[in-house]
Amino acid sequence: MAVNLGHRLRVILANIVAIYQRELQSYFVSPLAYGVASIFWLIAGIFFVAVLLGPAGIIAQSAMRDMQGQQMGIPVPPIDVPYEFLKIYLGSLGSLSLFILPILSMSLYTEERKRGTIELLATSPITNWAVALGKLLGVLTFFASILAPILLLELIVLAASNPPISPWVAVSGHLGLLLMGGGVLSLGMFLSSLTASTVLAAMMTFALNLSLWIIDLLANAIGGDLGQAIGHLSLLKHYEAAVRGVPETGSVILFLSYILLGIFLTAQSVETFRFQRS
Amino acid sequence: MIEVEQLRKVYGSTVAIREVTFSVEPGEILGFLGPNGAGKTTTMRILTGYLPATSGTARVAGFDVHDDSMAVRERIGYLPETPPLYPDMTVEGFLNFVARIKGVSAGDRAERVRWSIERCGLSDRRKTIINKLSKGYRQRVGIAQAIVHDPPAIVLDEPTVGLDPRQIAEVRNLIKSLAGDHTVILSTHILPEVSMTCSRVAIVNGGRVVATDTPDNLMAGRVGGAAYDLEIDGAESALVTLTEGEPPQLLDRALQLVERLQTLAGVRSVTPQGSPGDRPDRLRLKVAIERDTEPAQEIARAIIAADLGLCELRRSQATLEDVFLDLTTEEPTTPTETTGAIDSLDSVAADPEPIEVETSPESPPETAE
Repeated sequence: MAVNLGHRLRVILANIVAIYQRELQSYFVSPLAYGVASIFWLIAGIFFVAVLLGPAGIIAQSAMRDMQGQQMGIPVPPIDVPYEFLKIYLGSLGSLSLFILPILSMSLYTEERKRGTIELLATSPITNWAVALGKLLGVLTFFASILAPILLLELIVLAASNPPISPWVAVSGHLGLLLMGGGVLSLGMFLSSLTASTVLAAMMTFALNLSLWIIDLLANAIGGDLGQAIGHLSLLKHYEAAVRGVPETGSVILFLSYILLGIFLTAQSVETFRFQRS
Repeated sequence: MIEVEQLRKVYGSTVAIREVTFSVEPGEILGFLGPNGAGKTTTMRILTGYLPATSGTARVAGFDVHDDSMAVRERIGYLPETPPLYPDMTVEGFLNFVARIKGVSAGDRAERVRWSIERCGLSDRRKTIINKLSKGYRQRVGIAQAIVHDPPAIVLDEPTVGLDPRQIAEVRNLIKSLAGDHTVILSTHILPEVSMTCSRVAIVNGGRVVATDTPDNLMAGRVGGAAYDLEIDGAESALVTLTEGEPPQLLDRALQLVERLQTLAGVRSVTPQGSPGDRPDRLRLKVAIERDTEPAQEIARAIIAADLGLCELRRSQATLEDVFLDLTTEEPTTPTETTGAIDSLDSVAADPEPIEVETSPESPPETAE
C-alpha cells in the first residue's frame, strides 16, 4: 500500500514536471514573451535610473537633506539610502508587474483550448490540478527569470552602499514580489481557463489585479470590521509590508492562499468546461 | 476490448446520442460510419473519458470509462478531429512530452518515441518544429501521439480528413498495420475508407447504431444485393410509349420479355427502368439475382431469342454507399422511445442541429461569461 502510494506520488510529480517543462519551454520560444520581457526591462531600467539618480531621486534628496541640516545647524537624521531605494524601487516594480503579469498568464489555458490540446491533456492519465500546478510553476519561473537581470542592477548599487543593507530586507522584498506575482498569475490562470479569448482573459485579469491592488481604498471608505476584513485582501498592503522588510506571516499566507485558490478554481473550471459544454 | 452499452448523451435540450450499443473485439478495426452530426465524435469523447455520458456504460479493457477514468486513459490512445499539437515543439520533443504525461516510464520512453516516429513515417521530420509541418505530417504526428504509449485501444476521429489521396492511402495503411496488436475504432463519413480499412462497420444515424456487420455482409444483405443492369434494343419497333406528362408504358414485346426473364432460374425480380433519353426503342431493366448465381448467359439468350438486341449487360453490386443511404435516410418505423419530444428529433437527416454541438469544442462554456 505504502509502495503503491509512493509510486503514485512519483507519477504525479513526474507529470507536474513534464507540464512545467513544456510550459516553460514555450515561453522561451515565444516572441510575445520576449517582447514582454524587453518592455519590462526597459521600463524597470528607466525606473532604476529615476529612483536612484533622477532630479527627485534618492541620492539627490539625501544630499539636499544633508545640506539643509548643515544650513540650519540642526542635526537631521540621515536617510538610510539603500533601504529607501529598495523600498521605492520594489514598489515601482510591483506596479509594473500589474501590467506584465496578465500578459504572461492570459494564454495559459486559452491557447490549450484553441489548439485543441486541452483534449490531449484531459484524456491523459493526469489530474487537472497537476496540470494547473505545472503551468503555474512554469509561468512563475519565467517571471522570476525576467526579474533576474534587474536583481543584478540592484546588486551593483547595494554592494556600493555604506553601511550595507540588511540582506533580510532585500530577501523579504524580492520574495514578496515573487509571491505576489504567483498569486496574480494563479488567479490569471483561472480567468484564462474560463474563456477561449486571450484578450478577454488578459482584460479580466488586469481588472481583477487592479481591484485587488486598490481594494485598500474601498476598505478605508467602508471602515469598521467589514472594511478591515476587505482590507486584508489588498495586494498592495501586503506587498508593501514585505517590501518594508517586515515579513508578516499574514502576508505570506494571503499570497499562498491566492495561489492555491487560483489552482483550485482552475482545476474546477476545466472540469466544468468538459462536463457542461452545451 | 471495448464494450459500449446504451450510451446516451444530452447537451442541454439536444440529444446528441440516444442509444449507442456496440462492442469491439481485440485486434479488430471498427469503422464508425455516419453522417455529420450522427454522434460519432460525442461517442468517441465519452469513450476516451473527455465527456461523461448522461446514462449508459462504456468499458475499455474491462475498466469503466467514468469510474476508472485514469485506468482507461492509460490504455487508450486518442486522435481528436483536430490533432492536438503544440506548434512550437519539435516532433520528437512533443512525442516525448506525450509519452511522459501518458505514463511511459523513463527507461522505455526513448524507445517508444522512436518506435512511433518510425511507425508513422516521421523519421526525416524528427527535429522539425510542428508549426512547419504540412497538414499530412501533422496528421501523422497526431496518430503518433495516439500510439506512443502503446495503448491496447486506439480511437481515431476522422483520421484522413483534409489529406490528399496519397496521404490518405498512407494513413489507411498505417491504421491497417495497427490492427492485430491494437484495437482500433475509426470514425469517418468517407465510405470507401470503411470498406478498405475496417473489419467491421457500425453505422450510426440520429444518435443510434442502426447496423453493425462486416462491410461485405452489409452490402450483400441490404438494397437487394447483386443485380444486372440491362439495356435492350428493339431495333425499329418501340418498346416504350413516351407520352408527355405520363409515365412511360411498356409495349407488348417488352412486357413479354420481362415475363420471360422472371421465369429464369436465379432471377429474383425484374424492374423496368424506362428508356434512355428520347429513344422509345430502347429499354433499361434492372434484374435482381439470387446470391451466388450467375444467370447472365440465360438472360442474354432469352433476349436474343425474343429477337431483341442486347446493348449493355453490366453486373452491379450494391455499394456501401447504397447501404449507407438506405440506412440513414429511412424513417424510423419502430419507435423504441415513446416520448413525443424525442420522436420529433428522430428525422436527423433533415435536422443537422446536433453537429453544431459537437464540432465547436473551442466555444467557451456558458458558464464563462
